[in-house]
Amino acid sequence: MIRSQGFDRKERRRTPNEGNIRRRWRGWVDRRIPLSDEQQFTQKNIFILPSGAGLVFGLLLLVMLMTGINYQNSLIYLLTFMLGALFVAAMHQTHRNLAGLRLSLVSAGEGFPGDHLTFRIRATAEKDAFGIQFISPEGETRRINVVPGEIGEFELPVPARQRGPVPAGRIQVETRFPFGLLKAWSWMRPGSTGVCYPRPVTPPYETGGEEEGVQASQPRKSDDLSHADLRPWRQGDLSQRVLWKRFARTGEMTIADWEGESGEPVWLDFNQFPGADRELRLSYLAALVESRSRAGQVFGLRIPGLTIEPDQGSAHRSRCLRALGLCGFEKHVAEAGVAAAAGGESVYARAS
Amino acid sequence: MDAAKAPDLPSKAIVWLLVSFALLLVPQWDRLPWWLIAACLALATWRWLAQTGRAALPGRLVGTLIMLGLIAVYVLTVQGRFTVETAASFFVLAVGLKWLETRTSRDFYVLFFILCYLAAVNFLFQQGIVWTLLNLAAIFILLIGLQILNAPDAPNVMAAGWKRLGGLMLKTLPVVILLFIFFPRMSPLWSVPLVSGQAKTGISDQMDPGSISNLAQSSERAFRVTFGGEIPPHRDRYWRGLILDRFVNGRWEQWQIDARRRTGRVQSDGGVGPLQSGEYDVLLEPTYQPWAFALDGSEAISDNVEETAAGTFRFRRPADTSVRYRMALTEDKRESAFLSPQDRQRYLHLPAEGNPRARALAEALDQQTNSDLALVQSLLTRFRQQPYFYTLRPPEMPQDAVDTLLFDVQRGFCAHYASATAFLLRSAGIPARVIVGYQGGSPGADDEYLIVRQYDAHAWVEAWIPGTGWLRVDPTAAISPDRIESGLRQAVAEEGSFLENEWASAQKYGDVAVVQWLSLQMDQINYEWQRWVVGYQGQTQMNLMSKLPGNLSMRDLGYISAGVLGAALVVAGLWTGWRHRSRKPRVPALRLMGEWQRLLLKRGILAETADTPSSLASRAAQQEPVHARRHEAFARAINNHYYGSGSLSRDDHRRLRGLLRQLRRSS
Repeated sequence: MIRSQGFDRKERRRTPNEGNIRRRWRGWVDRRIPLSDEQQFTQKNIFILPSGAGLVFGLLLLVMLMTGINYQNSLIYLLTFMLGALFVAAMHQTHRNLAGLRLSLVSAGEGFPGDHLTFRIRATAEKDAFGIQFISPEGETRRINVVPGEIGEFELPVPARQRGPVPAGRIQVETRFPFGLLKAWSWMRPGSTGVCYPRPVTPPYETGGEEEGVQASQPRKSDDLSHADLRPWRQGDLSQRVLWKRFARTGEMTIADWEGESGEPVWLDFNQFPGADRELRLSYLAALVESRSRAGQVFGLRIPGLTIEPDQGSAHRSRCLRALGLCGFEKHVAEAGVAAAAGGESVYARAS
Repeated sequence: MDAAKAPDLPSKAIVWLLVSFALLLVPQWDRLPWWLIAACLALATWRWLAQTGRAALPGRLVGTLIMLGLIAVYVLTVQGRFTVETAASFFVLAVGLKWLETRTSRDFYVLFFILCYLAAVNFLFQQGIVWTLLNLAAIFILLIGLQILNAPDAPNVMAAGWKRLGGLMLKTLPVVILLFIFFPRMSPLWSVPLVSGQAKTGISDQMDPGSISNLAQSSERAFRVTFGGEIPPHRDRYWRGLILDRFVNGRWEQWQIDARRRTGRVQSDGGVGPLQSGEYDVLLEPTYQPWAFALDGSEAISDNVEETAAGTFRFRRPADTSVRYRMALTEDKRESAFLSPQDRQRYLHLPAEGNPRARALAEALDQQTNSDLALVQSLLTRFRQQPYFYTLRPPEMPQDAVDTLLFDVQRGFCAHYASATAFLLRSAGIPARVIVGYQGGSPGADDEYLIVRQYDAHAWVEAWIPGTGWLRVDPTAAISPDRIESGLRQAVAEEGSFLENEWASAQKYGDVAVVQWLSLQMDQINYEWQRWVVGYQGQTQMNLMSKLPGNLSMRDLGYISAGVLGAALVVAGLWTGWRHRSRKPRVPALRLMGEWQRLLLKRGILAETADTPSSLASRAAQQEPVHARRHEAFARAINNHYYGSGSLSRDDHRRLRGLLRQLRRSS
């Protein structure tokens, strides 16, 4: 598991012994709650303890019992026993409230450093699960009620600090329903990570590749399609690149990929910034991806270990940015893939 | 409790809290000062207005001022008396003030706790079945409020909340009942008086001439009696309460509180065993006084009453809750026919002056008769023959009350005649004492028990006759035989003064059959409730336990209670576990699927969300034809599970595990 920097710093401030205990506890919890985009709560991974109010309630019952004893009052005994039994029954209620809950990560967010990545989580339940609270490691709280047959969906923001995969960390899932006297909780540890793109830094100059004006790569407003590759519209294609005249004629959205005089498509290359270190290069590339995409240009990306063929549109942009964000974290990409694969389970689960 | 993060309290939850508070105030209404109730209602209303946005909650300064003001008024009202009653009213005040401070869910919980305890405090003062139900209803409402607080926007939270709460209550009921029966009833730990002063109507330890006629205006229940055998006739039902033996300033008092006590005979099945013939059970309403009421010639069976030297009965501490005790009628007069010189002096003592005409009459009677018994009889004859009237509306008799009654007005109530008779007897040299208690009692539903009400309060006289002992002398019986034969209603029927100020009392309308029937049925329900639930205490419990095999001690009861609790927890745990087990089988298939996908990923095949097991298997087969059949078999089994029989048998599971193992080994 990747621990966020913030967490490590916090831990170092504690006394070694305390830190040790905490680390062991966390390790134990992590073994119980594996990294997964899919989480079903069972007896094995639900923790339950009286809440603060529950402790006070226990004290109150004790005082009531003393009052009953002292004034030999049967009805106070009765009331005490009733409330006490209710407390125990509430323990099971609270536990069951969480036990039927199934969570799956729908999507992990992406964004630039400083952004909040939105982790979309979907909750389903076999029976009523009310007052379920989700607390992100940053203390963000969401509260939902799930009824059987309905899907509860919510977004949990996770701050992105550094380029790379952004794990959601342990999302605490807790409930105090019905009476708030007990707190049942567990964690969800999504396997998929969000992606934090490199912080875009505008390069002072551009070397290598084709330095062409924005104007040059603009699609020509010409009916001469002899130099264009025609292809069907794909998601992400800018609307101004659709051949609208053709659309009016045939009803098909067609895109012309212009070559012609503009020549080769623009390649953004990791190697075009000699002297800069890796992070800086990735930042330059991110800035270029942004500016090219804004301009609607066709561009390709070459980074170590990966080549993305020239294309354009928002899907292409995020693909490039994601690749930049994850550059050097390939191991995690693989893990994220596993998690994504595990996420696929839900498809079958729902089909059953 | 995260007070900082808590959202504004949902109105739906606040409403229930307010309703519960209002309900919990009801049982207290007659003992709380009026200003406190008004203040509480005002503060609660304020909170509600703030909730609906029509008013603002007070700032810190105003809030503090209100608090200090109300506490000052409270301190003035209480004047340093510390009893449970005053503590209870402080409690109510605290709840009232808390309303203004209820902003977060933490405050909500604080109120919840206080209100729960308020319900317990209510039980100290009111134990009738109706009050009990009211208190429990208030607690239920509180718990509904809590549910809403914890999931304010859940669909249908209120109806579901009632259902859930009802279900929880039903499920826990057996445990509650077992605990109630077996939890050891320990003796009190400390003693704080429950109430201050005489909050209750009832007999007091002094007798002004007018005191008992006040009681005659009340139809409140004093106690109820179940007889093991025949119910004695009305005229024999003299319930002796306490002895007044000192005449001071026209008023009868107790000379001294009896210090010497003889403990009653303790029988192991005193409290709940079947009533033997000649025994009777008394269920006394709280009197806040230590004395118990018993028929002439009774002895104590249960050990919560003690007999005094003077032959009356007392509790060890004031009866501030309802008390149940058992007595038996005995034939043998245990009183020795001997009166010590000190006692004789005490029972003859009169003030040196006052009531000269009565003294003269006593002198004359003494001379006319030759024995004490004859004197008593001639006195009663005089009451019978001369025009003395029994009335609830006697005139004022400020000076020399005995003289005025005997010679001038000749109209009085039992207390007047008893006072005059004791005075005359003492003047004539016969030791005499006034007995205060009840006389009579009316049958409850189905004639199963007797209800003795405050208007049955009575005063009579006992005279010491040498060789006989104490002899009951009741002047009222001579003047108004109706009172003794059939009760106050008949005795004052002509006068029409029976319960003339009690418009709401069912007893007033005793001649309306329906009212009477309803009132008696209600009383019976309450009686059974008090006998079996409210009265289930120390000795009663031990008696019940002695019926079980194995002679259980207090400690055994503790073990049993702990056992009940433990067993309940285990049963509940097993039950939850079983419910989960029945849902489990689907998880293994998911786990297997996940493992397979992970395995494929290692070989470069990423399972897309849109992939079905079969499509994955075919891709895998292309990649590694050696294992094609294994992958396909795996996918088929998974498909069978999801689209076929719907369950993964133990064999399937083993087979899939085997496939996975083979695939892994070959990599």
